Amino acid sequence: MKHASFRAAATTALSLAVLGALIFFLLPKYWVFLITAVFIVGIALQSLGLVTGRTGMISLCQMSFAGVGAWVTGYLNLIGAPGGLAVWMLIGGLAAVPVGIAIGLPALRLRGINLAIVTLGFAAAFDTVLATITFPGQTTFTQVVRPAAFDSDKGYFLFVLLTYGVIAVVLEFVSRSRLGAAWLAVRHSERAAAANGISIPRAKLSAFAISAFISGISGGLLAGYLGTLVSENFSMMQSLALFAVATMAGAHFALGAIAGGMMIVLFPELLRRLNLPQDVGNVLFALGAVQALSTGETIAETWMRLARKLRPKRVVEAATAAGSLPEKTSHPAGIALEVRDLTVRYGTVTALDKVNLKVPAGTVVGLVGPNGAGKSTLVDAIAGFLYRYDGSILLNGKALEGVSATSRSKLGIRRTWQTTRIAPELRVGEYIRLAAGPINESALESLLAWFGCPGPETPISTVDVGTRRLLDVAGAVASRAPVILLDEPAAGVSYDEALKLGERIAAIPETFGSAVLLIEHDMDLVRRACTAITVFDFGRVIAAGAPAAVLDMPVVQKAYMGVEFEEAAE
Amino acid sequence: MTKTRNLLLASAAILLAATVSAKAAPTCENGPIQIGAVSTVTGVVDFSDAPRATQAVFQQLNDAGGINGCKIEFTIADDKGDPQVAAQAARDLIDNKGVVALAGGASLLDCAVNAATYDRNDVLAVQGVGVDPLCFNAPSVAPVNVGPYTLTTAVLDYATKDLGAKKLCTFFSIIGGTQEAYAAAVARWEKISGNTITLSDMTLPLQGDLTPYLVKARDAGCDAVLTNQVEPGVVQWIKTADAQKITGINWLFLAPGYTEGVSKALADSKQPIYVGTEWEPYTEATEANADWAKTMETAGLAKTAFSQGGYMAAKVLIDTISGIEGEVTRETVTAALKEGKELTYPIAGNAYSFGDAKAHSPMQATKIMQLVDGKWTVKTKDWFVLPAAE
Amino acid sequence: MDSLFTAAVAGLSAGGAYAILGVCAIFTYRLVAVVNFTGAAIGAAGTFAMVALFELGMPLLLAVLFGVAAGALAGLAIGLVMTTWFAGSNASTKAAVTAALLVGIIAVGLRLTGGQHPHYFPEIIPGSAFRLAGVEVTWAAVTTLVLSVAFTLLTEQFLARTRTGLQLRALSQRPMAAELIGIRVRLLALGVWAVTGGVTAFALMIIAPLRSPDFASLSLLVVPALAAALIGAFSSFRAALIGGVMIGLLEGSVSAIGPVSQYRGAVPFLVILAVLLWSQRGARWDEAR
Repeated sequence: MKHASFRAAATTALSLAVLGALIFFLLPKYWVFLITAVFIVGIALQSLGLVTGRTGMISLCQMSFAGVGAWVTGYLNLIGAPGGLAVWMLIGGLAAVPVGIAIGLPALRLRGINLAIVTLGFAAAFDTVLATITFPGQTTFTQVVRPAAFDSDKGYFLFVLLTYGVIAVVLEFVSRSRLGAAWLAVRHSERAAAANGISIPRAKLSAFAISAFISGISGGLLAGYLGTLVSENFSMMQSLALFAVATMAGAHFALGAIAGGMMIVLFPELLRRLNLPQDVGNVLFALGAVQALSTGETIAETWMRLARKLRPKRVVEAATAAGSLPEKTSHPAGIALEVRDLTVRYGTVTALDKVNLKVPAGTVVGLVGPNGAGKSTLVDAIAGFLYRYDGSILLNGKALEGVSATSRSKLGIRRTWQTTRIAPELRVGEYIRLAAGPINESALESLLAWFGCPGPETPISTVDVGTRRLLDVAGAVASRAPVILLDEPAAGVSYDEALKLGERIAAIPETFGSAVLLIEHDMDLVRRACTAITVFDFGRVIAAGAPAAVLDMPVVQKAYMGVEFEEAAE
Repeated sequence: MTKTRNLLLASAAILLAATVSAKAAPTCENGPIQIGAVSTVTGVVDFSDAPRATQAVFQQLNDAGGINGCKIEFTIADDKGDPQVAAQAARDLIDNKGVVALAGGASLLDCAVNAATYDRNDVLAVQGVGVDPLCFNAPSVAPVNVGPYTLTTAVLDYATKDLGAKKLCTFFSIIGGTQEAYAAAVARWEKISGNTITLSDMTLPLQGDLTPYLVKARDAGCDAVLTNQVEPGVVQWIKTADAQKITGINWLFLAPGYTEGVSKALADSKQPIYVGTEWEPYTEATEANADWAKTMETAGLAKTAFSQGGYMAAKVLIDTISGIEGEVTRETVTAALKEGKELTYPIAGNAYSFGDAKAHSPMQATKIMQLVDGKWTVKTKDWFVLPAAE
Repeated sequence: MDSLFTAAVAGLSAGGAYAILGVCAIFTYRLVAVVNFTGAAIGAAGTFAMVALFELGMPLLLAVLFGVAAGALAGLAIGLVMTTWFAGSNASTKAAVTAALLVGIIAVGLRLTGGQHPHYFPEIIPGSAFRLAGVEVTWAAVTTLVLSVAFTLLTEQFLARTRTGLQLRALSQRPMAAELIGIRVRLLALGVWAVTGGVTAFALMIIAPLRSPDFASLSLLVVPALAAALIGAFSSFRAALIGGVMIGLLEGSVSAIGPVSQYRGAVPFLVILAVLLWSQRGARWDEAR
């Protein structure tokens, strides 16, 4: 994948260089001037794409961050700070970071809508503040000085292009890193991200901080571009329009950011040439954004889809084992996971009632029971997704009470979900890396091959549901956690695949060293994989012991047969 | 043909008699003379009355044969109140249209965004209505209107001299960079009159309830209150004063308050309301307004204060170009404007000149109007002229 | 202290407006699960329709009725967009849709209502009711307050007591399930949109004469409105009602404190910030994540 991200970065850099050369040599001064603005807006759009498109948090104050950067740049110019524009705009970007973090903080544990309100409120507040302070140097008619080597309009275009290129390339790397995957995971499902050991606050705040930084840089570039700025450059309406365009164009793609920049800059030009009123632009942006939201596909994605149609179809390649799997991880012997007198109540309903359960190291323990028996509640409790429970959960003898879901995952409790929650924008390799943390290329390949998964470069969106279930398990296993909780891994999987999956699960302890708690309805799978079984009904343990013995117990039969009848009746 | 020529010569002679030698012969070998204006047309406000009036004057000139046969092509560029669009529009006019000067523009932010661009390209702007402070604080712009800052000084001065106000208060809403300009205007009044301001509040919100501010003015015991509210704010201000049953304060406003909308909306109010005008009061059918009024009627345009600015800016440009000997280019027009010849028009209270200063605020005279029973009434028959600045 | 109180009372009429807009925001959220950024813009559309009719010479009362109807229609139009294309979308997408729509609505609104000379708003409820702390409290302020209280109580009763109210609650929580048990989901949702449109239009008509009545600034009243709704955690009408009034009072009193008074526009933001930081002390995982 390192190879892949280098290739992607090189493609971006190269295409920008070609584009820049064409513009620089072929277009007249006026158009070069216009297109400079395209790239400056493009940078702002990329920053918005990072929070909104990638991490799924609606930000309606992106231009306010740019304003912070611009004002700082203006001030540094006025006092004649050393370093010139390049340094000033970096400082401007850094100055926007604490603002971004401060905005992100109150929305850490809340859903995106609240963030939208916070950011809109900030944009409004920033408007009133900015309206009262003059841009530094305006009253003395001091212009922001461009770097000496890039002073002319064409020169400044190169400067902006260079900045854009650096940011685009760095973003390319970041988005393919574990952090980038974490952002997508957070957008797709915060719970699933936390279960993979991702710190949600850190993912969100880093997105906001980096986004504010980039936005601040775009503000600094704008200051050098226009020489002086007014508060209207960064008003709430500008932020809203930017949001609409980002939504329409797909600003989290390099292509979308440029397309959006072109719309914002060239639309007024087009309208002027057609003698149409300038306000038509905003109406079209709004309609375009609504259209993109309703189809769920941005302009950038449409283009990429069409481009993909033209290219020969890539076959989904199965992973090939490049080498052998690494040695199994040695975890402490004894009881890996212990649940003591666990009681969970929702209001007056008791979901779990004094449940006791032990998963010894190196074993696969099955957990069966009819629907609504409390199995998933138990997994939620163990993995740290329940706000409150009574009793105690111990990992290798250490109590986990008061430890967050993310920390439990990092300590060594991994879980999967009844329905797959892998962000479809990821590639197979990126997901495994996200789940596993640092893992080398050959270990990754051989792990995928062991599970019969497709190769690491395969996009998740092209993978069928059954295979995604496999990836869920593969991700949890790849983390080498001492305890793995599998919540109905065979749901939605064909019978043959389920059998194969059972064999794999049975082999997990000896191959990877992890203990497994398996929740499953498929009794054949359970028989094949488990060394011991616990049976639940109505939130209580009704039986526990060796699989064959337990499954033959009348009480289990009764609990289970009832369900089977119901299911048959449906 | 001869007839038009004669007409042109006659009108040109009248126009130029005061200032320009009749022998000057501008030429235009590269086609019509290009002039442009960056104005706010769509968006939050519509200031297009000013450039449309400029266009009407140029049209009239072209119909009469142009200046020495040179026609003027005039472009109005909309900036939407958006700085990015304003910057593009200015570049388009300068780089693509090749304008020799800008005239008659009225925009929320053209000066602030583009004054430096104009300066760098050595093109000058005769702003029809200068709005933002940089219009009065840049080497490349010299508006034909008095502007809110000079007008603040003038109206305050009028209140002390003619209304006998002792406790003057000011309330300003500050938008980007106007704080220093208003503070300077008040300071200038303090210097001229020897009085000090009783209360100067710079925190008036752009929108929102005004009640706290009126209560503050009442409690401070002001006997005259000046605010820089624009049209809807003026009505809101007076209505709030009425709602709070405040009496005994003279309310002073700047030119944006001088509209028929305000007079209609406040017809029932008994409050004493004064405004300072930028030019000869546009609601009056005086001799001074005759030519402007005729031009607007011919062109089918509304007679508004903004159109006076556009009209006068066009006149300034025509007179300047008429005085050029030889080819009309950006260089020659800029040089002619920088000469700083004084141009006098009946519509304005003192002579206009561009000149070569670092900042321009040429117009220093106003007339004061009072709202009496829903009608604007002239309070000062003669121009109220401020003593020369510094 | 005295001047602070005076200023606070002066913020009362703004507070009434924020309260009713906030209550409307919760109404929309609870019943059709949309955080509506266009709420105030819808109301502004109705308000300007009223002004246009009044300027054409229609009697005030009739113009107000038509204005309210226009507001309801504008609400209906947004409702149609939301129910046609975004019925199954998540809350975040819906919010994004309304935020994007706001950009277009403001552009169209400014085009239709803007221009060189602004419109003048007839005072629907003129005069002052009483004097408090040296400030005349206008009937307009009293009416917005009474209206928001009435709307709050009515809505609460309606949701708790009537069959339709029950259906509406079911609708917002499980639209699919509601459809299955035979509730005409779409019709009810559109009804909710129309009602909020009409109510906000009326509320804005009352306060417009005391505010800067251009389309954009009226539309952006959505910021304090959503702040009020946040205080109610998007569920409690009463908390939002009180929150809205508090924001108004706070803004009023801030304008009496010299050095910071020009930043009073930042008050809603600070309130939002404080509320969110306080309300998320206990983090929990909810299903939506």
